[in-house]
Order: sequence, then structure tokens, then C-alpha cells
Amino acid sequence: MKVEMEMGLKDVPGSLLRSLEPISKHGGNILSVLHHRGEANLVKVKIVFQIKDQKSLELIQKSLREGKIRTSDIFVEGRRYYEKKTLSFILIGHVIDSDIRDTIDQINEIGCVSDVDVVMPDPKEKSSVLMKADVDNGSLDKAVTVIEKLCREKNLVFIHSLEQ
Amino acid sequence: MKKIKLVIVGGGVIGKGFIKILLEKNKFLKNMGLDLEVVALCEIDGSIVCEGGVDLKRVLELSDRGELNKHKQWSSIKSMEVLGQVKADIVLELTPGNIEYGEPGYGHIKKALENGMHVVTSNKPPIALHYRELHELALERKLELRYEAAVGGAIPILNLHRKCLQINEVKSIYGILNGTTNYVLSKMVEDGLSLENALNEAKELGIAEKDPSYDIDGVDTALKVVILANSMLDMNVEFGDIRIQGIRDVTPEAMDLAKKHGYVIKLIGDVRRMEVSPRLIPVDHPLNVSDSLNAVMIDSDISGELTLVGYGAGARETNSSIYSDVIEIAEGI
Repeated sequence: MKVEMEMGLKDVPGSLLRSLEPISKHGGNILSVLHHRGEANLVKVKIVFQIKDQKSLELIQKSLREGKIRTSDIFVEGRRYYEKKTLSFILIGHVIDSDIRDTIDQINEIGCVSDVDVVMPDPKEKSSVLMKADVDNGSLDKAVTVIEKLCREKNLVFIHSLEQ
Repeated sequence: MKKIKLVIVGGGVIGKGFIKILLEKNKFLKNMGLDLEVVALCEIDGSIVCEGGVDLKRVLELSDRGELNKHKQWSSIKSMEVLGQVKADIVLELTPGNIEYGEPGYGHIKKALENGMHVVTSNKPPIALHYRELHELALERKLELRYEAAVGGAIPILNLHRKCLQINEVKSIYGILNGTTNYVLSKMVEDGLSLENALNEAKELGIAEKDPSYDIDGVDTALKVVILANSMLDMNVEFGDIRIQGIRDVTPEAMDLAKKHGYVIKLIGDVRRMEVSPRLIPVDHPLNVSDSLNAVMIDSDISGELTLVGYGAGARETNSSIYSDVIEIAEGI
């Protein structure tokens, strides 16, 4: 798996080395390291590496967190990777007629809709739709807020899971 | 033996329940050193006042026949007047509350405190709508104002927090705080009933009131959320701050979908989020309780998560909490 990972490192000696160690430790083969100075005292670094599987990526992330190294965007094989938290929710109302494509697109801007289960008792009746969206762990509250707003605009009932 | 004089305001289901338990547990209470004596019982159209103690058996007989006004000590004196004249130790405010202003309970509680009497109530609106004022009044007069029964029926939430979780900082409280909606939602998922049919069944069984709007529109739960937020999280919340979404729009199809994906739908009062809304709950979650049960989760920094399950309504069950408050106050007098 080819992984592109962006990090924000403190501009102090040794911080780049500390950020690379967890990758090597968990079997990552580093392909390239690009860095540029942005904000004061913070260096943005983009590291591209090859790893065996998702489990290795999770271990790398865990080690980075323990080392207090912040990662932002992660792409796996060119697709955005989420430290996956699945947001399950039900929408009730005229979900199809209120442009379900647009609903999914808007949710995809903050995550990735991975499952859609629709029940339409009658074309004139309200439909009930269960969706699952993979959302970055830190963006769960934001995702709920976005869906709430969307439901207000489209006059849909939003029932979200208790874990959120 | 310590004699504790009581005034009961509200002779409805809860008030009669209190009297029945008092007759049933009289010896038990006396063994605790408490002689609880009802010196006045106030109803909407009059009162029975007897300094030497009201004959409670007779009250129950007459009340069951709807003839309380035939009691020999019955007079048309109003509750507010009684509370201004009678000297008792504890007033039990057990009337149904009005969501607009919290009356008549608000006036009763205020009057009782102003007249130097402790108050125990099962009435949500006065506490939810006038929390600060009533608390400050009680504090100022060095009196107790207790309302365990107003939150979780038989479930000891406030007293548990006060007496057993002192070292804890409560982070969140959420759960099923209304038995009627839980009964309706449980029937929808277990028996495949529509909301309307489940509600009709609940009405027939006496679980839902004739007009169950407050329950199914989430108002009842929201009142409890306000009380919990102010009492346990010291949030200074008002009723209008709570976002409320009831269960009217929950379709049987939504219930089926939830079930298919390993969830159930429950009406949850979430104190930290200041929100009442239907939520998806994993089927194996401790809050997934059926029938008209309530279930509350308290998450604290030391104890971690605690789940309390019990009946949130019912004359007998609610009186468990009323007695808990009465006994504690009585012991401190």
C-alpha cells in the first residue's frame, strides 16, 4: 500500500527523525520526504511510504500519537484515509425527492458515505433511509452538525447514533 | 418517636399512592422512629384539615368513590390558604404541573417555603422553570426542597449523586427518561405496531395519558433534562435552551431499518448536549430496555459509567423516591 502522510513538525533538531522512526519500526519503506516551512516554528512534511497493510498504518498512527506528532491528511493509494469512525444515522422524509444524490455529496465533503439502505413504503409516503458514513474521528461533531443543517434545509428527520 | 407533620397537596394518583404506602408501611416507619402524620390534604376544589391527623383510610374510601367532599372535615378552603395557615414540617407538592408557568405547583412550593416548611415534590415544571428562584428561597430559609421523584420516578438519580458520588465530577448524563415513549417504541420494534397503534395500546393500559403530547413530543423528557442539568451539572439551563425532537415522525420502516443494522431507536434525553431526540442505540447497549422502563447513564470521572434502570412512572414506584426524600428530611429535623 502506498501511503502519503502530511505532518506538522516542530522546527527543532531531531523532530523529522522522530517522525520517521515509527514508519520504519512498523515496516514502512520510505519513498520520499518533502518539507517546507510554513507557519512560525512549524514545518509541514509530506512523507510517502510503502507498507504491507492497514494494520501497519494503524500502528504507525498510534506510535506517532504517542510521540505527540500531529498528522493531518492521509491518502492510501490516492484515496483519502480516515481513522475510521462510522457514523450511522437514519433520515426520514422525502429523502429521495429532496435529491439524495446531493445529500450524499454534501456528506461526502466531510466523510465518505459507505452504505445506503432505503425503504420506500409508497412513492407518496415518507421514506426511511439508513446511511453509514466513514468520518475522521476528530470530525464527528462537525459531521453531525452538517447533517443536522442539511436535514433542516430538506425538512428531513435526523436520527443519529448514541455513540456520536 | 419523632412526629413529622405533613401536608399533601394533590390527591391524585401519586397523592393516593403516598397515603396507601403510609398505611402499609406505618409500622416500618415507626420502627425507624418516625411517626408521619398527615395534617392536611388539599385538592383543587377544597381541603381536609385536621390538626390531630387526617383519617387516611376514610380519605381513600371516599376518594375512590369520588366523594372526598363528603369527608366530615372537608371545606372549600383552597390549597394556598391552607399552606399559609397550617404549620407542618413537610409539604408534599404532588399536583400535575403546567408547562407554561409551572402552576399550581410553583405557587404551592413558594408558599410552603415562605411559611417555613420543607418541600418534597414530584412535579417537574415548577422545578424546571423556576429552579434558581426556588432553590435560593429554600437556601435563604434554611429549608429543604427535594424533587427526586420528578426526574426518574423510582430511579434514585439525584440522591445517588448527592450521597454516593460526592468525589465525582459528572461528565455526562443521558438516557431514557420517559416510560410512555419507551413503551411505544418498544412495541413498535417488538410487535411491529405503528406509532398510533402502540400509543393506543399504551393508553388502554394506563401507561399513556389521554393526551400524550408532552410525552411523545419530548417535553416531559426535556423538563427532566433541565432539572438534571441544573442539579447535577450546575449548568444554569432554562427550558427554552433544550433542543427537542419527539418521536411522532419515527416510522415503522425506520424501526425495521434500525433493527436490520443492529440498532433500536429510543428517545434520549442528553443533558450535556441539552437535547432530546430519538437516537440509534446498539441492541446490546445497556440503555436498550423495553416496556415502560427508564434507563439512565451517568458518566463520571472517578466511577466511570453507571447505568440505572427502573420504572420512571407509576404511583407506587414514584412514591419510592418521594419517601426517600421525606425520610431523609424527617431524619434531619
